[in-house]
Amino acid sequence: MSLLKGAASGEQPMAGWLEGEPMYTDRQLVIRHTVPTNGLSFAGTIDVMNADQVASALISQLDQGLPLHLELSRVEFSDVSGIRAFVLAAECADARNRIVLHGLPSLLQRVITVVGWADLPGLEICSCSAG
Amino acid sequence: MPFIRDGLDAGEPVLVLTAVSRIDALRAELRGDAGQVQFADMAQAGSNPARIIPLWQEFIDRGSKDGRPVRGIGEPIWPERSPAELAECQWHESLLNLAIDPATPIWLLCPYDASALEAGVVAEAHRSHPLVTEGDHRRESGAFRGLGGSAEPFSVPLPAAPLGCRSLAFGPADLATVRATVAAFAAQAGLKAERKDELIAAAHEVACNSVQHGGGGGELRLWRDHRSVICEFSDHGRVDDPMIGRRRPSARSAGGRGLWLANHMCDLVQIRTLPQGTVVRLHKRL
Repeated sequence: MSLLKGAASGEQPMAGWLEGEPMYTDRQLVIRHTVPTNGLSFAGTIDVMNADQVASALISQLDQGLPLHLELSRVEFSDVSGIRAFVLAAECADARNRIVLHGLPSLLQRVITVVGWADLPGLEICSCSAG
Repeated sequence: MPFIRDGLDAGEPVLVLTAVSRIDALRAELRGDAGQVQFADMAQAGSNPARIIPLWQEFIDRGSKDGRPVRGIGEPIWPERSPAELAECQWHESLLNLAIDPATPIWLLCPYDASALEAGVVAEAHRSHPLVTEGDHRRESGAFRGLGGSAEPFSVPLPAAPLGCRSLAFGPADLATVRATVAAFAAQAGLKAERKDELIAAAHEVACNSVQHGGGGGELRLWRDHRSVICEFSDHGRVDDPMIGRRRPSARSAGGRGLWLANHMCDLVQIRTLPQGTVVRLHKRL
């Protein structure tokens, strides 16, 4: 199995997640609101082409005083600049509205550790992640 | 052995990076004192020689907090190293002179098995090390190229890519094509899924560097030899920092992660900056 793909690389998000309306779409990525969790689901590719837009999308969802949960099991590829979008948003978060990553593909989890972003205070990796 | 004993007697932290067989022999000889020495298997930790300097850096940062001297033994070169690995080990040995602040109180010994290695390898060791010891005799190396010359191997061209290898010119809009091309070649060469994905992740970052710093794009070449898939990127950029990819990025820094990641995803990464541009060659063992 490819390490670039998350636990649920098919059409549906992981169990327990329901998807709502898209809040961002481009040629390689769809981000949807999720219900009932205060969260977003990602499907597609995050890289240098759309990392700035992803960071802005995340930051726009941070003003609700709650942790922001991200469902990432259908991220097909993310590069370092894509991960940095999560990091930038996490740096804007405080203790109440930290960012929690769910279903992180195991290679991405390793990349986050290798490049030194695994222990940021605003970024939490849920144990439901693939690795 | 006296080198380790002297360190222990002086209460200095000691790290030994070498082959498992040598570690076992040293442990046996040190007996009860072996627990005071830190050991790491060079074949694993330093398989890609670009990962060795960060290990020394961490050892120094941990061990010499109060200005206490530390000492280490590092043996990155053994006879089975491939020619490309050997070139990178030699480049690593030369870079060590630049990587570690001369004010750092570290005493680093790099053993060379002169009876098992080719004469050229030993001659290069004389050029990359300021002091040499043969038997019990220590002296200054007359051939040492000095700190000023320690970056010289960075601009020595790599052996040419084979004629007729798979190649692709790419620009900013072609990153997905670069990934797909690397994926298809790696799969066909027989690289297993996980290792293929690691190569793709590294290749993508190097391609991004070409797009961002190498004149908007570059050329990808792919081939294989009997042990590895090789993925080469060439562009018109210049890399001025010979230590690139060998410094652990801080959580706050914006860039500088691409080649660091490549060094941790690949078995060997070769970087050369020549007058016509930069070449980065990634090796992933089959």
